Amino acid sequence: MIQTRPDGPVWSGYSRDPSGFMFKLNDQYYRQVNQIYAGNYDLLLSSGLYHELSQKKMLIRHEDVSGSVPGTPGYYKTLLPQQLPFISYPYEWSPSQLRDAGLLTLRITRMAMEKGMILKDATPFNVQFLEGRPLFIDTLSFMTYDSSQPWIAYRQFCECFLFPLYLHHYLGTGIHRLLAAWPEGIPAIHAARMLPGRSRLNAGAWMHLFLQTKIRTDNLPGGRRPSFSSGHLQRLLIHLENILQRLSTGNFSDKGWSGYYTDSILSQSYLADKERCFLELIDQLPITSALDLGANDGYFTRLMAQKNIRVVAVDAEWQCMETLYRSLSGQKPGDILPLCVDIADPTPPGGFAGTEREGFTARARAGLVAALALIHHLVLSRNIPLPALAAYFAQLASQYLIIEFVPLSDKKSQELIRNKDSYHSDYNIENFESCFSRYFQIEKRASIGDTGRVLYRMKKSVCP
Amino acid sequence: MIRSFLLYIDPGSGSYLIQVIIAAVLGAAFFFKNLWWKFRSFFIKPKKKSSEENDPNTP
Repeated sequence: MIQTRPDGPVWSGYSRDPSGFMFKLNDQYYRQVNQIYAGNYDLLLSSGLYHELSQKKMLIRHEDVSGSVPGTPGYYKTLLPQQLPFISYPYEWSPSQLRDAGLLTLRITRMAMEKGMILKDATPFNVQFLEGRPLFIDTLSFMTYDSSQPWIAYRQFCECFLFPLYLHHYLGTGIHRLLAAWPEGIPAIHAARMLPGRSRLNAGAWMHLFLQTKIRTDNLPGGRRPSFSSGHLQRLLIHLENILQRLSTGNFSDKGWSGYYTDSILSQSYLADKERCFLELIDQLPITSALDLGANDGYFTRLMAQKNIRVVAVDAEWQCMETLYRSLSGQKPGDILPLCVDIADPTPPGGFAGTEREGFTARARAGLVAALALIHHLVLSRNIPLPALAAYFAQLASQYLIIEFVPLSDKKSQELIRNKDSYHSDYNIENFESCFSRYFQIEKRASIGDTGRVLYRMKKSVCP
Repeated sequence: MIRSFLLYIDPGSGSYLIQVIIAAVLGAAFFFKNLWWKFRSFFIKPKKKSSEENDPNTP
């Protein structure tokens, strides 16, 4: 949770972790380290662990600004971390994103053990994505390692990373909806009930999941605790890493919209015409950030990223975002962040009092909003009225909107209204222009070949 | 001591014994796997490899 400093205009909030908290001051995010965490913080730095992890871009970099930004009573240090352009949450990720965040968490734990430290928690909320790669952001998660003890965060790791990925492996559901239902992890007993019987034959699932539903005590009879060693823990962590690497994060047979542009494309000439129009419309735009709504496999996301625009690509279909995320590794991605978000039902705020984590709409401001081949779905299929859609896009876009109008006569539109053709009499290009003109000034129109579809560039004219 | 899995508990509770058991199972698996490889290499002569591949520290 981000707090406003007590010497700022409002003091609201608390921190769940007594080690410190984040706060915002003059549009910069800072982290206060409290006295209670001083020993661990000093060890993180003196052991060389911070240096090693931040050099390898595994842990967020920070600068000690205690001299210039003193903290509240009980503070030890004030840190200015590397500022991240966009904060996303696990219930917006594709399966591979969760897996990579889990692998990062395990690797950091093993590297920390070599320096006499360990992670005290293992939640995907400690990980963000930057330039297509996961980055651990919680500098205060490290604590001194006692090699006679197992990993305190083991259960949390299983519930937050392993169980959702097992469920996806066997059921192919994606993980974002599961983690929206259980943001703090899926209890073993629930995961076990949802998994099919054949999962019990899997040794990894049996040990890490089904065993947890059987054993509910920490002690052997007589109150005795068996011994544990760092060798045991290393073996356990490597085993978890191997499992995560082997679990399927794939698309299964239900392809959803992934492949829209490559498989079911109306025609290759449509794509070529649309690309040409799109490039003309974004040429020379004075923007640095974009939101690609209904990004599909990210074809147009990449065109924007190539212009050095930082793009957050969203699509309701996790398969599309999975495909896009996978395509980012192994090539220079620019800065693309794929997220599984349904624009007709964007991520709500979350956490205690609904204030710990902002909803998607509050985070998703961008210079440019692109909505290609999207609005016919929202209007015809999801029944969102055009005026409401125009108002929402105006809320998201700070400067420009590039939007594709797909007419009612279009083959794809006709598929959507097959069973409700009397519903959408006001879905026409005149009404569309009139609704969006309330918030935007239409700068350019470009017809895409002979498809009847029109691409618009609009400039925001009034604040919503 | 029996805990309900549905109550709020700290991340480590209840997982001590599980980790001990899993570590023991993995240790046993590792032991038998090694034994099997030793047994196998006793009967089947390994092919000559480069010095780097023979490095016992190579995982």
